[in-house]
Amino acid sequence: MSEKVEVKPVAEFEDGDREILTVNGKSIGVIQYDGNFYALSNTCLHDCGPVCTGRVHEKMDGEYTGTGKPLDWSHNEDEIVISCPWHGWTYDLETGEHLATDDIQLPTYEVEIEDGDVYIIVE
Amino acid sequence: MSSEHRTNNSSVDSDYTVVDVDAHYLESFENIAEYMDEPWRTRLKESGWGEIGAKQNASSYFPTSTGDRQAYGRIDREHSSYPDEPAEPDEIKASMESIGIDIQLQISHLLLPANAVRSDDQRVTQFMEGYVKYVREHILDPDEGIYGLVPVPFHDVEASLDLLKETEDDEGFIGACMIAAGARPALGNRKYDRIYELGEELDYPFVFHTGGAGLDSYDGFQSFIETHALGFLASNQAQLTSLVMEGIPEKFPELDIIFMESGVTYVPALMTRLDEEYLKRPEENPLLEKLPSDYLKEVYYGTQPLEKSANPEYLETCFNMIGADQIMYASDYPHWDYDRPTTVTDLPFLTEDDKQKILGGNALEVFDL
Repeated sequence: MSEKVEVKPVAEFEDGDREILTVNGKSIGVIQYDGNFYALSNTCLHDCGPVCTGRVHEKMDGEYTGTGKPLDWSHNEDEIVISCPWHGWTYDLETGEHLATDDIQLPTYEVEIEDGDVYIIVE
Repeated sequence: MSSEHRTNNSSVDSDYTVVDVDAHYLESFENIAEYMDEPWRTRLKESGWGEIGAKQNASSYFPTSTGDRQAYGRIDREHSSYPDEPAEPDEIKASMESIGIDIQLQISHLLLPANAVRSDDQRVTQFMEGYVKYVREHILDPDEGIYGLVPVPFHDVEASLDLLKETEDDEGFIGACMIAAGARPALGNRKYDRIYELGEELDYPFVFHTGGAGLDSYDGFQSFIETHALGFLASNQAQLTSLVMEGIPEKFPELDIIFMESGVTYVPALMTRLDEEYLKRPEENPLLEKLPSDYLKEVYYGTQPLEKSANPEYLETCFNMIGADQIMYASDYPHWDYDRPTTVTDLPFLTEDDKQKILGGNALEVFDL
């Protein structure tokens, strides 16, 4: 049985803002980044840190460009990630997948915008 | 440890094919000098270093390591003149038969401290080139199961490529050896990419063998056991960390990597340590496509010196974490802490299939023997 939970009006989110709310005992973070909304569990799977209060940033990538050459480092604007402030565990903001392994998956929640308000759907 | 009584000549069942992936023929400096170019030949011969490359005034061809490996005269080898005299070639077969080994890979004994050299590094290249010529002519004998590894003078990439290519058609050389102790920069550095690339092309497995130089010089440590235990272990962990985290298995996926001479229990420790840090800092090593431990499970490990005194349940867990497919018996004969094949056959938790793989099956496959 899913539950639709009101967060707050879209207009009250500045870019990069996040709202932490508790639903049925679960801490959930709703984050606005570059005009898009994301909702993830706020309990880091490492040691229960408040992951959704951590830094949101473009993933740092390094590409192998050939034998003996240094990596070509860049920030990947197509992959936005969030890092838990306690120990640095980092997840894809959209999918919740840990950058190191897809065996670790932070729960994510569906976000709906309706009549100018942000809602999340919690199972 | 088992309390079962055994005799000291108990050996392994002849049903096993035993491949020893790490033994050391004690060549002499005078042997190698004959194959070196001038002026290196004269420099070496006229320096008075004699057969062992060192003399009493602490002058030596390669840096020396701490302590007395022979435990103050207590260690003796029936089938080797080590350490007092250079070996005779026929000692190899006698020792193989005595221990119960069918095929053996020889790695230079004198070169083990070579990469602690920080100056005049051409002497290392020259020695390695001379060594290849000497063992090709006098030691390696595929018909008798005696093979060799090409020592890589990795401080000089061009010289490394030349030496590896020079052995390409040689049946006696079946892989390369990176004498890992003292390597600067660490061996995952991109400086060495071309060496690994050529290794892949030549289908040479790469053996990483640490030694008694470089990392075993722990200031203030008093006994040989302290520097030796730490030196070998720390060197292997350091070089494995560099290779894995810098993505060498991703850059060169066909390259077989084999690490020698620190037993097996350090491997699970490194697996868990690296995984724990990588989960906290995954963007620092972007070439990794999986956890560091997954790469470490694809590396091969020589058994010696196997931690026979460990709790069998703990040792079994370590074997399971690495995998019986990744472990290769190594004797390290005639060194002070060598292991016989019975160190493997005695393990209570291994299946017959595991023992067959570890004693020879894995090495036969990897070295294409």
